[in-house]
Amino acid sequence: MDWQAFALSLRLALVTTAILLAIAVPLSALIVLGRGRWLAAVEALATLPMVLPPTVLGFFLLVLLGPRTAFGRGVAAVLGHPLAFSFSGLVVGSVIYSLPFAVQPLVAGFGSVDTALVDAARLLGAGPVRLVSSILIPLARRSLLAAIVLSFLHTIGEFGVVLMLGGDIPGATRTLSIVLYDQVESFDYATAGHTALLLLGLSALALVAVYATSQKRGSVRSA
Amino acid sequence: MSKQFLATLFALLFLTPLGAQTPLRVAAAADLEPVLPPILVQFEKNTGIHAVATYQSSATLTTQIENGAPFDIFLSADLSFPKRLIDAGLADSTTPVTYARGTLVLWERKDSALPPPSLELLRSPALKRLAIANPERAPYGRAAVAALQSLKLYDVIKPRLVTAENIAQAAQFADSANADAGLISLTSALTPRLSADGSYFVIPRDLYPPIEQGAVIISNTNRRDMAHKLLDFLLSPNVQTELARSGLTPVK
Repeated sequence: MDWQAFALSLRLALVTTAILLAIAVPLSALIVLGRGRWLAAVEALATLPMVLPPTVLGFFLLVLLGPRTAFGRGVAAVLGHPLAFSFSGLVVGSVIYSLPFAVQPLVAGFGSVDTALVDAARLLGAGPVRLVSSILIPLARRSLLAAIVLSFLHTIGEFGVVLMLGGDIPGATRTLSIVLYDQVESFDYATAGHTALLLLGLSALALVAVYATSQKRGSVRSA
Repeated sequence: MSKQFLATLFALLFLTPLGAQTPLRVAAAADLEPVLPPILVQFEKNTGIHAVATYQSSATLTTQIENGAPFDIFLSADLSFPKRLIDAGLADSTTPVTYARGTLVLWERKDSALPPPSLELLRSPALKRLAIANPERAPYGRAAVAALQSLKLYDVIKPRLVTAENIAQAAQFADSANADAGLISLTSALTPRLSADGSYFVIPRDLYPPIEQGAVIISNTNRRDMAHKLLDFLLSPNVQTELARSGLTPVK
């Protein structure tokens, strides 16, 4: 078991999930509460990363973030190093790659909140921030949880983007899924089996823990 | 929607067209991707045998063949993977047939601010990122590490190496300028795209063990004759000359 890679995957997933929440909660609230047809385009755009094969997405990012584009040079000037082959590059890639997995459950959850409640709050003078923090989030707790869990796990299991953008540098971009792939490709099936089993076991435990604390079993849930 | 339409759709989805002969299936190492297609076209012209190739790293192809992938012939980028199949009783011969030798080059973009590709470039501290293929499984990656070790540069340069999944991706890292230079195959460096974008320096052959590319015929093929014809064709003088033009060293 490559603990360094394991820690790196955890760190990547945590950072990505935090950034995704900061983006996806306002974005989903906008999609649900806002008016105008252009919001359909926003929702579509936020779902599109699912269509592209991850390796292709990774390749586009490699080119876009590379020193041959003005954008890539700008980012490199700000950070002091190019994004490709670095942890920050992986974070950018993961945020884009996992965006649909954060936005979809939140849009569904926010959308199922009773509009009468939202209208009443608005009449009482609640602004958008208050609407989200006092009405949408408390009433769509399960969706928020789903968004967190899906973003986190999707990033842990991320492979194609990291393969294209990472360069396999220990401690910076060698994530657990890359280690697993390397082990399989080197015919080291026994080690690969252990790595996969441990990853599955830990994820299963974490999921059960999260779901166990998130709801009272057997109780009637109100809409 | 008419019944005929549905029937046609069904036929398209589930049935193999009548009379379509299964082509000869070739498992080919990634470095052959720029080389093999015109050779297979010529092969079909000469023999009437239609062959299709799948390009992957030699390790991936080996795993697939071990697990029953329906290939007829395997053109590896080294000898160890074909030997692995022979040892497992999955390939015909007792030793792989060497059909070409690979050449390792140092490739760099023409618009790079660093000095042109040379051994000096490898020694330069200004070289911040050097792309190589994965040395665990890509023969060119193994050769790159061996060459760096012969130059006593490996320990110095190790933190600056970026490892690509295969040799084609190593070329991509360098061509997109994300890596300052790459140790790649001559076959990649000679493709129109890379020869337009950059220049290369041939790494002296005494710095790394030869990259012998070996072929084997898969045991459970029922088209052994056709597979042998392809192997003979690869070893014929004309095709060997063709290989030399594409960046492989002929063995005949």
